[in-house]
Amino acid sequence: MNPPRLSHSAALILKALSLGYCFGLDVMEITGLPSGTVYPALRRLERDRLVESRWEPEAEAALKQRPARRYYEVTRAGKAAALAATQRYPLLARLVSEKRS
Amino acid sequence: MSRPLPLPRFDRRLLRAVARLVPAQEREDWSRTWQAELWHLHHRSRTRPTHFRRLHALSVMTDLSIGLTLDALWLRTDLWRRTYSGSAGLCLASLSGLCLLSVLIALLFTDGGHALSPHLRGQIARSLVAAALVVFVSFATASRLPVDRNAATQGLYWIRRQAFFAAKMAQVLLLAFFLSLLVFLFSIDACATIHVPARNVADVFQLFSFVFFALVGLRWVFRDQEQRCKQCLHLLNTPARVGRPSHNLLEWNGTELNCKQGHGLLSVPEIETSWCQSSQWINLDANWDKAAPI
Repeated sequence: MNPPRLSHSAALILKALSLGYCFGLDVMEITGLPSGTVYPALRRLERDRLVESRWEPEAEAALKQRPARRYYEVTRAGKAAALAATQRYPLLARLVSEKRS
Repeated sequence: MSRPLPLPRFDRRLLRAVARLVPAQEREDWSRTWQAELWHLHHRSRTRPTHFRRLHALSVMTDLSIGLTLDALWLRTDLWRRTYSGSAGLCLASLSGLCLLSVLIALLFTDGGHALSPHLRGQIARSLVAAALVVFVSFATASRLPVDRNAATQGLYWIRRQAFFAAKMAQVLLLAFFLSLLVFLFSIDACATIHVPARNVADVFQLFSFVFFALVGLRWVFRDQEQRCKQCLHLLNTPARVGRPSHNLLEWNGTELNCKQGHGLLSVPEIETSWCQSSQWINLDANWDKAAPI
């Protein structure tokens, strides 16, 4: 099956997620996109099964005295879509840099 | 182990207000997501230099307020999309909308309908006669309706199906009439520019266009009716080819369409054969309801 054609914003968000930015706020900051674009786009990507979301373990968050966050991971289909999007938008790789761990 | 600091009062009020937009089954998850995002936003701004902190927090907070509202709206519209997409109600509402739009365009072209009213009675009479003929021809030439021998889809379901079919047909004929009125108006203008007796030519155009639109529309009505669930009247989806076309004379081959609510499936044969002359509706057991969304 061919990977779905993504809009530039969706491709940018998927690229950011595949580079290790897994929280909505991080994606917003690194892409420079407004939250009104990022969060609904994350929902759409999740609906299309290009990303999946999980809650970080409650115990881990409590240990750091902060609420647990929802983080997003790119699925196998999402990786294929991100690759296709990078070929379609060659400048995408330059817009988002890899996350320093 | 200490608990994380609570959110500022404004944030909590905003979350409570916007949460009403979110569908009930997703509200808790949505609130939890946004509470965490807002908490992290405030936490991050605390770690920045003081002169930068307030300005940055304010701009990001404004952006996030818009974001959480749009996120809630997206969830709401997605629920509507999932609920009403392909439903009978949406079909009738769309047809009504198209009728209204064509009436508005006609009124716009005739300065409130004054130019149209002298001709309207004759057009309605001609179109009614033509409509009766078109309906007769459409029924006579329509492909066979699906065979449905299940008791579960008889009775009230049958009445609902026929009522929807009749309403759809009436709306399509009405839409065909309004569209033919637009053709009438355009042809009057066109005839005036080339000095042809406008009235007679425009009347003929109106009648022909009505017959054309009505025939095409009724053809669609039959096709649409066939491809709907016999219980919930939603459009059937996920068409799947079954069998091999090269084995036409040896085994059944055709397409199967499913109801997304899991009520049943429609088997449409590729060609009409003596053992399978028309499509068949098969009711599924209630246990399939759970498997349908997968």
